[in-house]
Amino acid sequence: MEKVYILGGAQTDFERNWSKEGKNVIALLKEVINSALKNVNLTYEDIKKLNKQNKIAVCIGNFAAEYYINQGHLGPLLTEVNEAFYGVPSARYEAACASGSVAIDSAISKIRLGDYDLVIVVGFELMKTVNAKVCGDYLGRAAIYEREAKGIEFPFPKLFGKLADEYVKKYNLDEERYKENLAKISCINYGNAKRNPNAQTRKWFMNEKQANFRGNPTNEKIGSMLSISDCSQVTDGAAVVVLASENYTKKNKLENKPIIKGYGHRVAPYEFDKKMQESKDNEYILPWTREAVCDAYRRANLSVDDIDLFETHDCFTSSEYMAISAFGITEPGKEYEVIENGTIDFTGSKPINPSGGLIGCGHPVGASGVRMMLDLYKQIANEAGNYQIKNAKNALMLNIGGSATTNYVFIVGK
Amino acid sequence: MKIKEITVVGANGALGVGISAIFASFGDVKVNMISRSMEKSEIAIEKAGNSVKALKVCDNMKPYTYENLEECLKKSDFVIETIVEDFNEKEKIHKKIDKYLKKGAISSSVTSGISINDLSNCYNEENRKNFMGIHFFNPPYSLPLCELIPAKNTDNFVFNYMKDYLAKVLIRKVVVVKDKPAFLANRIGFMFINQAMQYAEKYKDNGGIDYIDTILGKFTGRNMSPLETADFVGLDVHRAIVDNIYENTNDYAHETFKLPNYVLDLIEDGRYGTKSGEGLYRNNDEVYDINTEEYRKKRNYKIDFIDKVIEKFKIGEYEEGLEIILSDSSTESEIYTRFLIDYVVYSLSISKEIAENVFDCDTAMAEGFNWIPPIALLQFIGEDRFKEIAKKYYDTKFINELISKNLKSNYQYEKFLKAKR
Repeated sequence: MEKVYILGGAQTDFERNWSKEGKNVIALLKEVINSALKNVNLTYEDIKKLNKQNKIAVCIGNFAAEYYINQGHLGPLLTEVNEAFYGVPSARYEAACASGSVAIDSAISKIRLGDYDLVIVVGFELMKTVNAKVCGDYLGRAAIYEREAKGIEFPFPKLFGKLADEYVKKYNLDEERYKENLAKISCINYGNAKRNPNAQTRKWFMNEKQANFRGNPTNEKIGSMLSISDCSQVTDGAAVVVLASENYTKKNKLENKPIIKGYGHRVAPYEFDKKMQESKDNEYILPWTREAVCDAYRRANLSVDDIDLFETHDCFTSSEYMAISAFGITEPGKEYEVIENGTIDFTGSKPINPSGGLIGCGHPVGASGVRMMLDLYKQIANEAGNYQIKNAKNALMLNIGGSATTNYVFIVGK
Repeated sequence: MKIKEITVVGANGALGVGISAIFASFGDVKVNMISRSMEKSEIAIEKAGNSVKALKVCDNMKPYTYENLEECLKKSDFVIETIVEDFNEKEKIHKKIDKYLKKGAISSSVTSGISINDLSNCYNEENRKNFMGIHFFNPPYSLPLCELIPAKNTDNFVFNYMKDYLAKVLIRKVVVVKDKPAFLANRIGFMFINQAMQYAEKYKDNGGIDYIDTILGKFTGRNMSPLETADFVGLDVHRAIVDNIYENTNDYAHETFKLPNYVLDLIEDGRYGTKSGEGLYRNNDEVYDINTEEYRKKRNYKIDFIDKVIEKFKIGEYEEGLEIILSDSSTESEIYTRFLIDYVVYSLSISKEIAENVFDCDTAMAEGFNWIPPIALLQFIGEDRFKEIAKKYYDTKFINELISKNLKSNYQYEKFLKAKR
């Protein structure tokens, strides 16, 4: 099968609030596309040429622009960025917080088929157009809205709070120790984000004492045992990766660029309670998440031992906790070992989220999957600057939509 | 050398609170907070916790009064004074600090107007080596700039230790500057603001204060227009800063620091700005009219090029927006262009004079004022084009020497240019 290369890309500064700046989605896309093209040495003229031969396409990942910015039909948006996109096949892909990944998945297929040489993948979300409560309600549409979100304030922290409760029960964990582990996960992500010049929280303060200080006005409880410090925060942002075919990289002498070695894509029962019912007798609490990871390992012909770093979907600390065993770093129920002994720290042997993850970077939902892919690219291409993991050869990302309903895994290496 | 416990003298002022919070949070050190009363210190602790959105850090802070100065200093590895900007007051307290300072401990003063070298004379020879100026910006949690000022006798090792500590542990953006009036960021920032005050007077028949603020609004690369900023800072504070620069420096922009008479009148009437309810502005919708000496409703000036520029910025067409400004021939666009050129030129020239590195002016303005960094702005306009315009106002040789090499900013300009008036 055709190899799929990553040429590079760009992201916006996730600290920015585009509504406060008075700017709209076109400004967001223009900036990120311009930086991405510069990063991969492409011009708008190059795009025109490729498009004449019908060799370039665009995949856009976005969750809920219809709600946040009153804009649907997102595929053609890049025609507003530059007329070079006139005629370029382009469509929007949606899978809640995994929208970026489903766009990447589609881009991979287009290249593998041999129909396109270059696919520009854009993920974006502008969320600061509404207040936190309204935003929480919009996000509720990534769950079964009628049963899990309608009329419920901040439905997702509650769903992932439930996951925390179920975890403690299923593996018979000491709840206090589990909560301390979650606080440590939060701090690792905040700490890593300090090295990332595009992270939303790079100037914010968090330490374990504060993260364990749950239930006070500066760290309010928000879903069962989870508090604000356990949550990633919504923000505005866009990310781009440019994927290319073997044919294109050969022609342009770019064969040394990282490639996508494997992927996994599994969908779990939509409703959270049904997930728990289904996995009652399974050793994994979210078996389809684990399955997606295994699929990616199998397709890449790699195992957890080969992976030098992970970018995971820490929408909440409880989801990163779960991911540790899904990756195979520990057995399920034993995640605390690697949290406590430093294995997943920036300097550990299996670093998770050197970028800062969703907790550190911020979580513009439609952009996050693409941002993770961009970070894997940077690590493998040795372009991650201050958050570079030395000698990274293979890296894995997990991007989930809903309450781990859509599960996407990609492995990138050379 | 390791900082485990510190004392903040004058801990209940806005900066004292903010600085205590930064040390107690990022530094995770014990902070002894000294104010005039226990009650003031206790209130300061809660405010500090809230200022970094982490009340748990209050556990690191302890309330004290000046009576406890000796006790606090004897256990502190670092002391920072943030009392009122008055040399005699500061001198008194630094002499006391000198007396009680723990051996090897570092001492510092937060000031924007007083000479660090003069203050260093309060210390004995040994302690003087460990004394320096640290200028934080308010509020420190959102404005991470720290200007670090060595005195003549400051020990290099101690100074570099502090520089490293501020940058790596406290996550500050540190620039090292010479002991010159107002240091770097305020020298540049208050030049701009005071010049805006002067222009408001010059163009008082066009509307004055709100007219100039409209021309230099958010779309020019800031969160708040300059005269609104002056009200926010306090006109009395503004006066202290520009008077100090006017009296103690003599560069080519000297007259730009002269406070206009109408501002003096406002100060004499106790109209200091936001903190006293009125200043250049009153409430949200009124402005001081320099001609009538009365407040009137703010005007919505119809200035075509501004609306056009904002429409361009809104969709991310920054260069097209710039073209509109530079090709417009209205009085307003000329005023804007003049300010933009003066800002960049003065930043470069002062940075060369008092900073370690010419790029420090970018750090200073971005991290201390949230203004568009001057070198990023210069790059946005383009060096050649900038020089061409600047030659209208400045000596060609001066400009060529100032912009003599390829200056490349570490900052991007886009986020500073708001699509707003």
